[in-house]
Amino acid sequence: MAATNPKINRRQFLKASVSAVVSLAVVGSAAYYFKDKSSLREKGLLRPPGARAEKDFLFACIKCGLCVQICPVRAIKLADWNDGLSYGTPYINPDVQACDFSCDAIQCAETCPTAAIDFKIFKHAGDKAVAPLYKKYPNGDFPRDMNPFKVQIMAMKRADKIGEAEIPNPNQCLAYHGHGYKGTLGHGNKGKLRPPGQTERIRIEETQVNREICDLCVTYCPLGEDAIVLNKIEDGKFLPEVKDGCVGCGVCQMVCPTNPVAIVVKPVDKEPQFNV
Amino acid sequence: MSFLYDWITRDKKRKPLPAKDRSNLPFARLGFTFKEWHDGHINKHKWRNRRWAFLIFINLLFIVSFALDLSVLEGSLSGSRLIGIYLMDPFNSAQELVIGSRLGYIGILTTNFWIGFFVIMTFYWLLGGRAFCSWVCPYHFFAEMGERARAYFIKKKKIRDKTYDITVKYIFWIGFLFLAYLTKELVFEDLNPVGILSRSLIYGPGLALIWVVAILLFEVFGVKRFWCRYVCPIGTTYSFIGDVSPIGVKFELDKCGYCTDCQDVCLVPHELWFVKKGAATREVHFTGGDCTKCGLCIDICYGEALSFGFKAPSYVIGSVEETKELHPLEIPDDEIDKKQEK
Repeated sequence: MAATNPKINRRQFLKASVSAVVSLAVVGSAAYYFKDKSSLREKGLLRPPGARAEKDFLFACIKCGLCVQICPVRAIKLADWNDGLSYGTPYINPDVQACDFSCDAIQCAETCPTAAIDFKIFKHAGDKAVAPLYKKYPNGDFPRDMNPFKVQIMAMKRADKIGEAEIPNPNQCLAYHGHGYKGTLGHGNKGKLRPPGQTERIRIEETQVNREICDLCVTYCPLGEDAIVLNKIEDGKFLPEVKDGCVGCGVCQMVCPTNPVAIVVKPVDKEPQFNV
Repeated sequence: MSFLYDWITRDKKRKPLPAKDRSNLPFARLGFTFKEWHDGHINKHKWRNRRWAFLIFINLLFIVSFALDLSVLEGSLSGSRLIGIYLMDPFNSAQELVIGSRLGYIGILTTNFWIGFFVIMTFYWLLGGRAFCSWVCPYHFFAEMGERARAYFIKKKKIRDKTYDITVKYIFWIGFLFLAYLTKELVFEDLNPVGILSRSLIYGPGLALIWVVAILLFEVFGVKRFWCRYVCPIGTTYSFIGDVSPIGVKFELDKCGYCTDCQDVCLVPHELWFVKKGAATREVHFTGGDCTKCGLCIDICYGEALSFGFKAPSYVIGSVEETKELHPLEIPDDEIDKKQEK
């Protein structure tokens, strides 16, 4: 193994180190070249709620997939090599399975060991929302009809904006033409979601609905009328209006029955805090 | 750096003990010829079977935990959670810390990150550093099979064997950390076959597997164990803690018959440098940081000269100065007399 002739040894070492340095340089320049060429954004894929700005996220995420495992509706997937340096990082495709917040704890953020998905924003928002309630009822003797947990989780759901729903072409929308909808939820996709006010999750491909005027995106929105409302435009014509409260969870896109979907969630770009 | 090198090679630098007499070899003492002794040994592959079983078990546990939602061992080999305790890949963490120190992110890392980092470091310090490689790493399993395939092709004289300088792995280790610092990306994680393979097994295969197959093919037909020996910085990180680990493969010169069969089966043969005739500098040796504690040498040893053993504390923290200590045979007679007088 060890060459006895030190000259051969040194030559061997030099040769190996030069090839090592060259290959590292190639890898480094490739990484530099592909740095901002993430195709996840162009594809309209979302990061999990609480994810840092793209530039921060890419170094903070260690690609372990713990967020993938904890998500009860399996909304989070890991990117592949064709997404460049985003390889291995989590994304949500609202067209297939949106984040319906039915975990009620934003666990994907809580489980992240490197805080690439930041739980602190949710914690602060939740604490801030319940603080006045605890001040009003100091010993925790809340009135019967008041559940501080619900207040807290609602504030947490609203804490971070990952995207925003938009209706690129109103002509696609059934309500715009005054049409109703009868059939299963979604546009041929399979997914799970918990409708607002209910305790059990439903499978969208098994759920039959019958509406005189299609308002599925409005009724299934986990954030309610802060995020989306159905406006009457003229007689027999309606159009959903996306409000400031929309966080871009993507449930509306998941349940939308038209093909191609009338309501689409576009990821929002956050300001990087570290990798400026 | 040179101090580190001196320290790692402290035993090699001592004066070798004289080679044992033929009559003093273990088979001669038992009254056998070398051939009888050598051929009489049945390799039961005890450690190899245990190791493969454990490796498959731990990777299956990852897969099953996700598939059946068991919450036993979640995540992947880049970072995981074993019944609530976080475990972090040490080189991934190192890259994260390097980038974090540049961008002020270290304070943001969660407590779970630090717990995972220290738990893994302590665990593998106790169990001998690169034990991760042969007992857990899924890529190692395929590479080990690749090594067998390569041995077959060498036997058929399709390819020739060549060894290179393994110190190049330190260049890669520093280089990948430097690249992480420069590009502010976890560059190595995009190329890491351990992570890619682990994620592919757990979350389903992807395009990145092409890279793993490419490395594997290069290991079979190009350079033997190219990735594991010369590149993988995860292994290098583990080898650093393996150097000061209290556990190693213990070699007892007294029981050795100088057959060097152990070096032939060893995955890192340079760690068994002391088994050659006249190479040992002590009566008892331990393998160093590159040893993956795979147990192949223990399985094949006819005289049971090799076993897993605990190093004496002085062996772990042994200093470079120790190498200057005189060998018993070199101590002048009058000094021995002095010692006896005391």
